[in-house]
Amino acid sequence: MNFIDVNSVVKQYDGHLALDHVDLHVPQGCIYGLLGPNGAGKTSLIRIINRITHADSGTVLLNGREMVQGDIANIGYLPEERGLYKKLKVGDEIVYLARLKGMPKRLAVSEMEKWLKRFDLTEWRNRKVEELSKGMQQKVQFITTVIHRPQLLIFDEPFSGFDPVNAEQLKREIIQLRNEGATILFSTHNMASVEEICEKITLINHSRVVLEGRVDDIKQSHKENLFAVTVAGGEQVKACPNLFDVVPGGEHQGTLIKLNQGVSLRDAIAWLNDNYTLTGITEQLPSMNEIFIETVQSNA
Amino acid sequence: MTIVGKKSFIVMTLLIPFLIILVGCIPVLLAYINNTADTSVTRIALIDETGSYGSAFKNTDNFHFVPLLGDSVVDAHEFYKNAGESLDAVMVIPKDVLDGQRATIYSENTIDNATINYLTQCLNDTLASAKIASFNDPELQEKIEQSQVDAEIKSIKWDEKGDEQEQSAEIASILGMILSFLTYTFVLSYGAMIMNSVVEEKTNRIVEVIVSSCKPMELMMGKIIGVGLVGLTQFAIWVLLLGLGGVVLSIFGLSTVGAASPDMGAMTAGINANVPDNSDIASIISAVTSINYVSLLGNFVIYFIGGYLLYASLFAGFGSAVDQASDSSQFTMPIILIMIIALYAGIACIENPSGPMAVWCSIIPFTSPIVMMVRLPFDVPWWQMLLSIVLLYLTALGCIWISARIYRTGILLYGKKRSLKEVIRWVK
Repeated sequence: MNFIDVNSVVKQYDGHLALDHVDLHVPQGCIYGLLGPNGAGKTSLIRIINRITHADSGTVLLNGREMVQGDIANIGYLPEERGLYKKLKVGDEIVYLARLKGMPKRLAVSEMEKWLKRFDLTEWRNRKVEELSKGMQQKVQFITTVIHRPQLLIFDEPFSGFDPVNAEQLKREIIQLRNEGATILFSTHNMASVEEICEKITLINHSRVVLEGRVDDIKQSHKENLFAVTVAGGEQVKACPNLFDVVPGGEHQGTLIKLNQGVSLRDAIAWLNDNYTLTGITEQLPSMNEIFIETVQSNA
Repeated sequence: MTIVGKKSFIVMTLLIPFLIILVGCIPVLLAYINNTADTSVTRIALIDETGSYGSAFKNTDNFHFVPLLGDSVVDAHEFYKNAGESLDAVMVIPKDVLDGQRATIYSENTIDNATINYLTQCLNDTLASAKIASFNDPELQEKIEQSQVDAEIKSIKWDEKGDEQEQSAEIASILGMILSFLTYTFVLSYGAMIMNSVVEEKTNRIVEVIVSSCKPMELMMGKIIGVGLVGLTQFAIWVLLLGLGGVVLSIFGLSTVGAASPDMGAMTAGINANVPDNSDIASIISAVTSINYVSLLGNFVIYFIGGYLLYASLFAGFGSAVDQASDSSQFTMPIILIMIIALYAGIACIENPSGPMAVWCSIIPFTSPIVMMVRLPFDVPWWQMLLSIVLLYLTALGCIWISARIYRTGILLYGKKRSLKEVIRWVK
């Protein structure tokens, strides 16, 4: 069952086509990556799902039915450009934004206390937002996004501005929220985090969907028959013109080889065993970073 | 709604009525200080070449005169220098003063206006008497006195029952002016407050979070209505405090005037004709009370709300197009300009509150909230009133509609300075 179905959405601004028949299908309880270079149309799509703006044509379904204005209480949105009322106290700010999402005051206060404790911010509750460090403000912003326990969470670059320790905590929280049943749409340029937590992705470029599917499947389909080979004595493997080529570079141990078209792995291993003492061979799948760059550049 | 919680806001709300009362008292205080504290004495030597007018200059608390005969002093400057500190000025009354009507005062210091005025008055009185005497007509003095007229036109207004009520155009004008200034400052300051809040939300990007929780139109109207209610509450508090202050002041003020100035009473007893007697004060009070404050306040609130909605929505709409607070002036300038024109039109209409300019400006929606205030204390034909209110509210609705369209686009566009032309295109 898909939680969000975006069907053939078109959005035009002032003669510029921001979204050109875009489809997006996010399964319930999935951490879904929405990728794309700057200006590809990610924010436009997110704003349509949020009902901040409306599509010129196409539909957005939530749980299989057309979205209505009331559904936004069920969405938590962390925009890329973070913003809080700087003069408000941390506690008041969180409660105010929670109540704006329709939370009763008493519940908002008790949830606020719980979340502040979780992020070690309890002692900052009565301080003004502007007195907090940037990292702490980011945490407050995260709390305001998730406090009303929405079924859909939209994070736009959630890790920007976090140090590695805090980024790790945030990652744990996001996975925890998913485990509690939330569906998470996750827009980012940080491909390492995509590989770590996203199950599926959609890549948008020039207002169109250019790549879509499970992260594992995409990697498989983009594999280039690359293998890292290690042999006894740490020797460098030489190329075998009939079977494989040696590819320079890479951060892996041993030698990187690329099998020729139609050559089976079994033949290559047999040849390596005949000529060297083979100690290890692992397939090298392309990173999401490489796939991203390759796909975007081939689309340019 | 964070505005209301601010200490400065609460303090200002409570303090401003007192400030207004204080400002109102300042002229009275100043006059009091001026009358009582000035104990300095100006000593003036009179060189009277005619030999007959010296007695016209009477010594007072502030002026002492030393009469000298014209031929006893050859050089006025020399005399002044020799006298040293004991003399402030030397006045020379020439022989032909009756025909030339001109005397001269010399000093090494600048002579102040009060001195000149007093001397002129003394000279005028005595020269006038001398002239009358020169006609050799014993009855002339009497005739002149009898032909001195101090006419007064009493303005009586019939109310619906035909009862008579005294009214005063001056008091009505002053009231109108106060109301129009109030509208102007209220609308301008609350409009600016809304604009700042829109710009602040946009520049710190929280607006994106907010509009993912409610519609932009709701956010904008929430702001306008919220600030508007704050304004009305503030106004209500002021009216209440000012009313209270007025009552306290009138009780306190009247009793002090009665008790603290017996000398004034003694003075007025002598020259009764020149002093406002009880009937004058009564007529002022009657004029002040003759104004229908309930309808005045009601109409003020109607116009205030209409004008506020009109201008506040414009401020909100154009505020959303601003990218940085410092760029806001290009959008606020036109709005403020219109308001200033309205204020000047209001001031100009005081002279003739039923003239064509007053009528037109009180019907045109952009100026009517301010100009109509000037006309309100006078009677405005009901059809003009109705037309003006309907037009004002229709225009306000139009402005809200336009601003809402600008707002929903403007708040989400960052990074570029927008031209007025571009902003107008968003409306389409």
